[in-house]
Amino acid sequence: MEDYVIEMLHITKEFPGIIANDDITLQLKRGEIHALLGENGAGKSTLMSVLFGLYTPEKGVIKKDGKEVKISNPNDATDLGIGMVHQHFMLVDIFSVLDNIILGSEPSKFGFLTKEEARAKVIRLSEKYNLKVDPDAMVEDITVGMQQRVEILKMLYRDNEVLIFDEPTAVLTPQEIDELMKIMKELAAEGKSILFITHKLNEIMEVADRCSILRKGKYIGTVDVANTTKEELSSMMVGRNVKFAVDKAPANPGKEVLKVENVCVKSKIHSNDSVHNVSFNVRAGEIVCIAGIDGNGQTEFVGALTGLDDISSGKITLCGEDVTKKSIRYKNTHGMSHVPEDRHKHGLVLDYTLEENMILQRYFQPAFQKGGLIKKKEMRQYSDRLASAFDVRSGQGARTIVRSMSGGNQQKAIVAREMDRDHELLVAVQPTRGLDVGAIEYIHEEIVKERDNGKAILLVSLELDEVMNLSDRILVMYEGEIVGEVDPKQTTLQELGLYMSGAKRDNGKEAN
Amino acid sequence: MALLIQYTLISSAVLILVALGGMFSERSGIINLGLEGIMVFGAMAGAMVMVLVPENWPKAAIIVCTLCAAAIAGMLSSLLIAVACINFKADQTLVGTAVNMLATAAATVIIKAFNTTRSHGSDFSAKLDYNRGYKAFIIHTSKIDFNWFEVVGLVLLVAAIVVFYKTKFALRLRACGEHPQAADSVGINVYAMRYAGVLISGFLAGIGGIIYIAAANSTWHFDYGVAGAGFLALAVMIFGQWKPERIAWSAILFAVFRSLSNVYTAIGFLHALPISGTVYNMFPYIVSLIVLAFTSQNSRAPKAEGIPYDKGAR
Amino acid sequence: MGEKISFFRRPAVQTIIASILCAVLGIFIGYIILLTMNAEHATEGMQAIITNFFKFSGNSTVLMKYMGSFLVKSMPLILCAEAILFAYKAGLFNIGAAGQYTVGIIASLYCSLALGWNWFLCVVAAIAAGALWGFMAGLLKAYFNVNEVIAGIMLNWIGLYLCNIIIGGEKCMNQTKSETFDIVSVNPSAILPGFIQDFFGGNKYTTIAIPATIIIAIAILVVLNKTTFGYELKATGHNKEAAKYAGMNAKRNIILTLVISGAISGFAASQFYLTGMEHYTISASVPGMGFSGIAVAFLGGLHPIGTIFAGLFVEYITLGGQYLNTNYYNPQVADLVIAIIIYLCGFVLFFKTLVNRPAKVKVNANAEPATKSAKAEEKEV
Repeated sequence: MEDYVIEMLHITKEFPGIIANDDITLQLKRGEIHALLGENGAGKSTLMSVLFGLYTPEKGVIKKDGKEVKISNPNDATDLGIGMVHQHFMLVDIFSVLDNIILGSEPSKFGFLTKEEARAKVIRLSEKYNLKVDPDAMVEDITVGMQQRVEILKMLYRDNEVLIFDEPTAVLTPQEIDELMKIMKELAAEGKSILFITHKLNEIMEVADRCSILRKGKYIGTVDVANTTKEELSSMMVGRNVKFAVDKAPANPGKEVLKVENVCVKSKIHSNDSVHNVSFNVRAGEIVCIAGIDGNGQTEFVGALTGLDDISSGKITLCGEDVTKKSIRYKNTHGMSHVPEDRHKHGLVLDYTLEENMILQRYFQPAFQKGGLIKKKEMRQYSDRLASAFDVRSGQGARTIVRSMSGGNQQKAIVAREMDRDHELLVAVQPTRGLDVGAIEYIHEEIVKERDNGKAILLVSLELDEVMNLSDRILVMYEGEIVGEVDPKQTTLQELGLYMSGAKRDNGKEAN
Repeated sequence: MALLIQYTLISSAVLILVALGGMFSERSGIINLGLEGIMVFGAMAGAMVMVLVPENWPKAAIIVCTLCAAAIAGMLSSLLIAVACINFKADQTLVGTAVNMLATAAATVIIKAFNTTRSHGSDFSAKLDYNRGYKAFIIHTSKIDFNWFEVVGLVLLVAAIVVFYKTKFALRLRACGEHPQAADSVGINVYAMRYAGVLISGFLAGIGGIIYIAAANSTWHFDYGVAGAGFLALAVMIFGQWKPERIAWSAILFAVFRSLSNVYTAIGFLHALPISGTVYNMFPYIVSLIVLAFTSQNSRAPKAEGIPYDKGAR
Repeated sequence: MGEKISFFRRPAVQTIIASILCAVLGIFIGYIILLTMNAEHATEGMQAIITNFFKFSGNSTVLMKYMGSFLVKSMPLILCAEAILFAYKAGLFNIGAAGQYTVGIIASLYCSLALGWNWFLCVVAAIAAGALWGFMAGLLKAYFNVNEVIAGIMLNWIGLYLCNIIIGGEKCMNQTKSETFDIVSVNPSAILPGFIQDFFGGNKYTTIAIPATIIIAIAILVVLNKTTFGYELKATGHNKEAAKYAGMNAKRNIILTLVISGAISGFAASQFYLTGMEHYTISASVPGMGFSGIAVAFLGGLHPIGTIFAGLFVEYITLGGQYLNTNYYNPQVADLVIAIIIYLCGFVLFFKTLVNRPAKVKVNANAEPATKSAKAEEKEV
């Protein structure tokens, strides 16, 4: 008889219109690191939310130490010793590290907070597990890596014995990932049981004992990691063989399309520049990628480049013309296309129909309006043409409200719109975020096609696999500066990691 | 000058209480635009008690009954906002506006019915004369008339500061207004905390309402509502950056301007100026617009305020 | 998902049903209030409100005369509602419509009574005044990040006190009666041209305000749905960030929207006060027209044409309050009913999402509808 600390048996969870979990069984042994593998939308997060008491399943039972339990809210989960590090950190920005750790389990006397013993416990735990944090720092001021340590301390503070890590490595550098893996192994050695949710195969191979695979809400199987290969795991995850590399011919760069000189952007939060002295160029027919950890100034730089944010100094030249001070509309109509980082915030008006979104930057052009009146027929035809060319699927065609479309199709709609507009430069920021493998492959192919058609492409991505596979040149951004330029064919993940964490810079002097 | 101080003190008490009410509500994530209406309900209940209490009651009993009535009426009316905004995810601006309109209309109807019944059909007005009960609140000194309302205001301000910075409750409340998902993930009941925030705002605004109408006169026409005092309090709250001690200071600043309209005739040089009295009435509103124009740019409202929390869709 | 949507799933139908539900529920609660105030006469009271001026239906001339007056009073309300609706579509809650209406009163009455201008110039002045008030709110919102609701409220009070100062002066107000002079006797050229007055039993207050209101409602409908300007406004209202991304000038649009909204509110004031139907009296509270307009806009399902019907309904109920027997009730019961209806409008969105829920599949970030992406994938294999 195996010693299972948690068993989730035949879990089914439905949402209106979809079955997110369909008869899923997951058994976690005491002291093991168990990976849960699946694509975006496979149902991993839903399953963990069920375990954590955030959702109530329609069918199935959960057992703790062999006894059936009912988990109807996070408090029940905490009482059973289950803790979770969420993919999007559940931290209150304006609270201190200590307040965040104790929130929900505050030590108090007559309702008044008594933080001293809590502080002592946090310091003790952080020393024991080598999780360095400053209890009095505000969360908004600390690095993403430290925020993650705060999340881990939150679980340890509650004496949790089952620890769930939901996609914990997405925001970390390769070095920080190594660090996290070490911590996870230590925790497991201390007798904690770990559930590790991910879609990155290398990490599973490195750290996990066993791995369960989900696909489209269904349970595919559980394997011992020691007896499997990356290829086997990936075909279980996707249901077919996946090409890891993108097919592309060597780049054939032409004239300079974008030139960025000494661009600085003032930070909205602190007094330093969030983008400092950034200079580079992008030529026609090449894909230049800006890599880096989230929050190192990429968003601010793209904001300055496209005009969403103010630029404080520097010069931007597009197709030989100085566009530093030009409006967003001017850039839009003079050669710049932009697939934005956040499709819901910037890319789409979710309550507009697909056809209305397709003309978002072009509604004022003679093709779509006459005398201030929108030409509805032309709009419909245009939208239909783009939708079929880029395989955008929607319930009611051009009249579908975009909010009701799947994330993949929303993203394809944006990509279609941006690629069809007259442009020389495509700025694509995390174009595949949150998509499944099929959609990712499709968008990658389109971007390469775009390059081969002689367009200049500036890709900003946090996914190192994407960076390595797609780009012809890689620029690494760290704390608002470009700290290095590397050739993807000659570099390694380790080297990229050193740049990304600020440990290495191109201009000779090695930082520490 | 003594008169100015007297008016400033009582106006500060009103603005502090109501702005603190707004603060607790917004810190929990609900924008309470219905403060104005809640004040009307509180004022109405308090004034009715002052009219009804027997004359021979001890002062303390009159004071306690009046304040309790105002607070309870405030909390009950704030439930209108809580239910619509928390459970039904209604548009918070719309609901707040509706409560304001509802309050003035309801107070008019109720007071008219109240007067009609009491006078056996000879008084149809929406005016209450609560001079009798009001006297219980005055503390005479040689120079300035103080008022028990001011004492209540001060006590509640100190209590609010302590609660806000020192308690487990406030830590949780603030978490709900900043990042409700985070609060939920550590087992805090976001709905309950938001109810608490709105109810506290009802409690404070209700008391603020009775102080507001009792501040200047011993009679009040309820078809006037409270003349934008609830919205001034919101401006005070924004100027005070959603922090109790800063709210207290900005309330005093606003109160000075507000009091000028009451006392300018008594201040020689102001009275001598060729300005109509109505201009002084405009003062607090103009000042608050200017102040808001210079402070709103960098103001940091609770991040999740105004966004209904939906447990299912995270 | 098929092309055919069942009757009750159509957004327009749902909106109408929801609005009617609010109205009926509001009247029902009003009835309960009447019951609690005086149970004996409640049914009779409710009948009085609902029968309204139709109690004159025996005499068609009188009836039409009352009908005319009813329409005259409805028009400014509908216009205020259109102003609020227009701003709301661009994501702005123009609670300042009340103040814009008030400065519209200042301009209409001052220009007609003190300056002796003709009606056309008075109307233009009212539009300009309302637009100026809207402009100030817009400026504060666009460049100083001041919440338009708070700014609107402050401007409402400033407008009211200004109105009391200017219109309360000797040039406009009869100081003994403390109400404004009769425009008809002081400056008849300022009275709006009549509109089929014979049809309304010789009602001398029915003016071009009635067709003008309908034209404006239709114009708003066209602007919002057919023009690039409407496209921009609605995009800004739905998603300000996306509008900026698309190169729209958000600041200009905010100001322009509030200027237009203010202009309509100011126009509303002129279309009422320049009929000569009512005098302005010094008031301690901001005219309720702008606030009732919020109710009308929401009750009308935020649709320019729906708003016309909602406006007629709300004015009808308000008017009905005056037909209550004052021995038992007071006319403000009608205001209370209206306020309850607005409050109920807050639940309309909930009701609609409830009905719509199965159609909208947006559950959590990670549970993208698996079925659709699955289809897409199979094709690519």
